[in-house]
Amino acid sequence: MKKIGKFLSSMPFAIILLVLLAAACALSSTVSQGQTYEYYAAQYGERMAGLILALRLDDAFHSWWFIGLSTVLCINLFCCNLIRLPALMKRAEAFAKPDGMTTGITAEAAGDGDPHRLFAALHMPKAKEDGDGRIFAAGNKAGFWGAWICHLGILLLILGFALGQMTMKQYTVYALPGQTKEMGDSGLSVTVEDLRISRDENGAILQYTAMLTVSDSVKNTVESGRAAVNAPANLYGYKFFQNSIGWGADVRVLKNGEELQKEQLCVGEFFAVADKPELVICFPAFYPDYSAEIKTNDPAAEVKDPAYIYQVYYQGQILGMNALKAGEELTIDEYTVLFERPRNYTLLAVKRDSFTWLVLLGGLITLAGLVLAFWLQPSAVCAVREGSGWHVYGRCRKGGVLFRDEFLKAAAEAGFTPCENRTTAGGDT
Amino acid sequence: MIQTENTLFTIAVIGYFILTALNFAFVILKKEPLAKAAFRLQAGIFILHTAALVLRGIGTGHWPMTNQYEFSTSFAWALCLVSLIFIRKYRFPVLGAFSSPLILLMIGYAAMQNREVRELMPSLRSSWLAFHVSTAIIAYGAFGVTCVISLIFLFRGRMKEEGFWGQHIPDTEKLDMISYRSACLGMLFLTLTILTGAIWAEQAWGSYWSWDPKETWSLVTWIIYAVYLHLRIRRGWKGKGAAWFAVIGFVCVIFTYIGVNTFLPGVHSYA
Repeated sequence: MKKIGKFLSSMPFAIILLVLLAAACALSSTVSQGQTYEYYAAQYGERMAGLILALRLDDAFHSWWFIGLSTVLCINLFCCNLIRLPALMKRAEAFAKPDGMTTGITAEAAGDGDPHRLFAALHMPKAKEDGDGRIFAAGNKAGFWGAWICHLGILLLILGFALGQMTMKQYTVYALPGQTKEMGDSGLSVTVEDLRISRDENGAILQYTAMLTVSDSVKNTVESGRAAVNAPANLYGYKFFQNSIGWGADVRVLKNGEELQKEQLCVGEFFAVADKPELVICFPAFYPDYSAEIKTNDPAAEVKDPAYIYQVYYQGQILGMNALKAGEELTIDEYTVLFERPRNYTLLAVKRDSFTWLVLLGGLITLAGLVLAFWLQPSAVCAVREGSGWHVYGRCRKGGVLFRDEFLKAAAEAGFTPCENRTTAGGDT
Repeated sequence: MIQTENTLFTIAVIGYFILTALNFAFVILKKEPLAKAAFRLQAGIFILHTAALVLRGIGTGHWPMTNQYEFSTSFAWALCLVSLIFIRKYRFPVLGAFSSPLILLMIGYAAMQNREVRELMPSLRSSWLAFHVSTAIIAYGAFGVTCVISLIFLFRGRMKEEGFWGQHIPDTEKLDMISYRSACLGMLFLTLTILTGAIWAEQAWGSYWSWDPKETWSLVTWIIYAVYLHLRIRRGWKGKGAAWFAVIGFVCVIFTYIGVNTFLPGVHSYA
């Protein structure tokens, strides 16, 4: 049991896991995610398509093996931090005391120099003399905790991400200004009051802003706000993100000249004729400038010569497909279909993730850990009386050879001679 | 403004070319004054390059790191900055000789890109852009220098202790430590890049992490350097093994920057 625990918390195991995770991420990024068997078969051949689906490479980042790998990494980090904690506390405590200067000496020098000058040159002004006549200072002790804090941050980050994925509520709502749409199973409905597109003097788009009203039919309450790009609205605990825009229009159906039905359709939507449900009108595309040399359905383009692409289905069979320009009508027996008022709809991404704060906290702790680990190199210097002069020792936990150079230079400036034969380069790492 | 930036950029390209030639001359002729001249020249080009970037920023009205040209010229600028800092801090002039060809390659890549000024899409009009992309270029610059030092480390074993190289290149122990410091700088800034990117993505798209190819490859790069930092303290892997990982890490950086944009389009396709 002890052996298993030791292996699970070991660094070689962590390295194997990290390499596997990197390889898994790299491989998965090369396979288009969330596609069908037909797509993969067309791209890579039938055998590969079968393999991709069998290995869940089509949804790799949610697959059992990826989640398993991440979980084992978390166990490794947790065990590593837990097991190392007592030893780390002891080591950090010993490092800050002159008695700890018995092993792992990085550099040493001796002579009649002035130890206070040495401490000053090494930026250790708080050097203190103890009862045994030793002068000692230890700096950057927080650096000991860098890796530990970093591991803790990563653990929190992964935990926050996993909890967020499990509990997150996510919806996509698209609607034309004036339209109201239900927000999935949330019990809320969203009304897009207005969609504003601000441009600069050259016509470049600066911002999309959707004015929203969200209502709760059960509680009979309403909240309003505006969602812009990079500035989501916060309503009923959900965040509303202005994600993109598209084209939509009004569609009117006349029967023998009398208005039968009026619909607001976004591109990609369809409706059944009110008194003949087997007759379905689809609106697959819209071109704002059909007479342009290069036809584009860019939702930000100016409407100049609009063309509405329609499809008509009867009892599931396609009857026809064509383009209608402004003012043109589509006639099907006694029915006349008119497309009017082209305008933009807004696509909103709606999300409630109660653990985003934990991810952010984990990220910040990871960062703090890295700063401590990389920036603060724990070092200690001790001067001990030796005859009429001093023997000075320097110890650095991570700086190794660079600290040795710095120490010996400062020691020489303070009047000491390096003890070449007694110097142990490297120190701890 | 953009015209002056173009001129300064062209001068910087020529300057980096001369710098590389001067560094080659230093390596071949083994004359110390050439290294000092190269360092001064590099500092001078760096000032010109900085001025070009500032003018580009003023001319375009936004942080000049929003397309392939702007990012690659900034990448070259960061490589130049980090190598200058490391040459000076560790009194290591030979580093310039090895890093200048890499800077030249990157500025050459920038010169091949479209320099046209384009309006930013609304999602890029965010104050997070400056933080996210600036931290990325510093990280990439630091990783570039780590790769160069690791390559020097790998060649150092074959060089004689006495003579020119023995005098001008630190021993492997010191090279390993300098490479570690540079990797630490890169790792810190890459973490900041990923964090600021996640905060920005949460604001813009409502998803701080969507496994977009650029995000995924940034994570792969982060993991590779995490492995490097762990390997450095493992017996058997310390030294050469870790140095090879630092080189692989930079290959990942280049793939994340150029490869992902070319082969794996995603939400970062404009970058």
